Amino acid sequence: MTVKTMSEKMGQGVGFERIRRITGYLVGTMDKWNDAKRAEERDRVKHSTKNDA
Amino acid sequence: MIHSIIKRDGRVVLYEQGKIAAAILKAMEVSGEGNAADAARVANDVQLALESRFTTDSPHIEVIQDAVEQQLMNHGFNAAAKAYILYRANRTRAREASTSLMKTIDEITNIDARISDMKRDNANIDGNTAMGSMLQIGAAGAKAYNEMYLLRPEHAKAYREGDIHIHDFDFYSLTTTCCQIDILKLFHGGFSTGHGYLREPQSIQSYAALAAIAIQSNQNDQHGGQSIPNFDYAMAEGVAKTYRKAFSRRLRDVVEDYLDLPDESEQISAILAQVEETTGETAKLESSKAYTDCLVKALCEKYSVDNATAVKLVERAAKRSAQKTDRDTKQAMEGFVHNLNTMHSRAGAQTPFSSINYGTDTSPEGRMAIRNILLALEAGLGHGETCIFPIHIFKVKEGVNYNETDINYDLFRLSMRVSAKRLFPNYTFLDSPYNLQYYVPGRPETEIATMGCRTRVMGNVYDPTRQIAYGRGNLSFTSINLPRLAIESNGDEKVFYEKLQAMLELVAQQMLDRFEIQANKHIYNYPFLMGQGVWLDADNLSMDEDLREVLKHGTLSIGFIGLAETLTALYGQHHGQSEELQKKGLEIVGFMREYCDKKSQAMKMNFTLLGTPAEGLSGRFIRLDKKRYGKIAGVTDREYYTNSFHIPVWHPISVYDKIRLEAPYHALCNAGHISYVELDGDVAHNVEAFEAVVRCMHDAGIGYGSINHPVDRDPICGYVGIIGDVCPRCGRREGEQIDPETVDQLKRKYPEMPAFQGIR
Repeated sequence: MTVKTMSEKMGQGVGFERIRRITGYLVGTMDKWNDAKRAEERDRVKHSTKNDA
Repeated sequence: MIHSIIKRDGRVVLYEQGKIAAAILKAMEVSGEGNAADAARVANDVQLALESRFTTDSPHIEVIQDAVEQQLMNHGFNAAAKAYILYRANRTRAREASTSLMKTIDEITNIDARISDMKRDNANIDGNTAMGSMLQIGAAGAKAYNEMYLLRPEHAKAYREGDIHIHDFDFYSLTTTCCQIDILKLFHGGFSTGHGYLREPQSIQSYAALAAIAIQSNQNDQHGGQSIPNFDYAMAEGVAKTYRKAFSRRLRDVVEDYLDLPDESEQISAILAQVEETTGETAKLESSKAYTDCLVKALCEKYSVDNATAVKLVERAAKRSAQKTDRDTKQAMEGFVHNLNTMHSRAGAQTPFSSINYGTDTSPEGRMAIRNILLALEAGLGHGETCIFPIHIFKVKEGVNYNETDINYDLFRLSMRVSAKRLFPNYTFLDSPYNLQYYVPGRPETEIATMGCRTRVMGNVYDPTRQIAYGRGNLSFTSINLPRLAIESNGDEKVFYEKLQAMLELVAQQMLDRFEIQANKHIYNYPFLMGQGVWLDADNLSMDEDLREVLKHGTLSIGFIGLAETLTALYGQHHGQSEELQKKGLEIVGFMREYCDKKSQAMKMNFTLLGTPAEGLSGRFIRLDKKRYGKIAGVTDREYYTNSFHIPVWHPISVYDKIRLEAPYHALCNAGHISYVELDGDVAHNVEAFEAVVRCMHDAGIGYGSINHPVDRDPICGYVGIIGDVCPRCGRREGEQIDPETVDQLKRKYPEMPAFQGIR
């Protein structure tokens, strides 16, 4: 296979990698997380930096 | 007449009355009532009872056992009947355990980890690989054995039913959790990995390489993560050695070039040796005036040059040596990070779970090491991927790096720039009162350091003269299902505290049982951890001594999860919703801490309180409780219990309130704690805003904290940052291909894009 033909298909079926802190550490990408931690990550809300949130 | 019986697996075998009599006699012996003649009489009556029911059919084994129980009681052998029933129940439990073990192994063998939640229990083990599966099968077998043979029945029940969780249960009979490795002590004089002997390292490259090997070696002697508490202080020594060697060569080169001499190696070595002897110093990144003056004088005499020329030669050599040392340090730190992300451990199923602590060494060598490890972390791996290991922990200390006028403030600032991109470093705060009480300037072993996701050791009830981080770690930890205690108390506070007290006692006893197993191990069970003197006082052990006394430097930690759900179950709200409930939350956690302190004093051992990380546990407890109590609003209505004492992840709250509310729990959870806040990407990438949050943590008395923000990466174009549905660099959606023209354009714009990115 030449570089050209590889380039033509570049990206097909390749997802984005999403790295999040699981507890105090990171793990590779989120597809390795267990179901409960995935649900927890989905529920996380951003914390406002304004004092009166 | 009974001729045959049906066994559990359906097979029909010949009936033997002698076997029944033998089983009855055994129960009688255990209970201390009845003799062989009694046993025969009871067995006869069992047969008569069966014959009256079964004329042509064969009785099933369970029916026969029912008859035995009945006849024992008819004959008045009540204790023997009880012993027989217990024996039957135990056999049933063993059979069920073995069946469920086979089912578990079947799942490990046949189901893809993407489908099997069980195989993703620990995200750092790849359950799809051969070695990962073998590790999981071994763990399943060990757990079944440990539950059957090592746990007291009441502990087994509490564990099985989810009142408590015994962490790393597969390793119950084998080892301890983790250790803070003083690598300087290990390096001095060289060490053995168990597979070969390594000489004392002589350059920054070898310091870094051997540090990775030390982590890898120790990881195979314990089941938890490994940590280096003094990474900067240790690497500084390697930097100094590299500089000294570099300086000797560079000085020779400049002298040879300036005076047009062929080879001055020997002469320069002799001069440097003499200067070292006179001044008692070696060439350093920032050499003292006395050293430089002495060297200049020696060069003037030896080569008949004037003072100004000699000064110039020394300055030039020093500058080039510093550049060379910096390059070497950069490479060494990059190598270290690459090593720890690719190095295999535990039969190849994991990379070592590693942490490094740094930030307080203010020597020029230490500063060079800190700057370069941060830059290596910032650069990422080969294709710009975010490094997963080691966990970087930056130690924050007033007077060292916290204030603008502090010598390492620039490194503190750099650490925040890096954390804003790569999620690490995390921050540990030496000024929080419960950390500051141990801190002695100039003694890095008194600086609090973190292992793995949050574990810390410092206080030492067993040996109050050794309240240090080095050479110590956690022995085991067990967590309490706090929300369940609250649900079962039906809103009655008094009942809750009674239940909590009883549960704390159960857990303490269970950990002491485990300690008995650990204490009876020997130095040869842990060739690296104990054999190389990594653990405190292990170097004083003889081969036939058990580990009991030295292990007492470690901690037994009682953990908990779901304070928020506990408060909601008891009082209707959690501690993020009212100040009153924050008070109640602190009372509960304070109660547990007080129990640990009292137990420590009574046993002269280190019982500590842990805010449990709950990776695998967050789902397990709540699944069991949902089944038992149904959906309770704010308590069991999600898929996870909230981590330790955290404000629930879904509760809207400001950064500052979250930090303020969680900080007091850090003071109570002396086995480990962490708080993190979630920032959106724009705030996180603003270093001023990032610093404001870290400073808020410091001032609020947080012990260990970090800042979460999204870090995404497109493996096709190499973009690292926040990616919504569309990659901001190459414009593709998840799974879409990009055309060759776009690839060529991107390559021109981003020359760092590797040639074959995305093709793996």
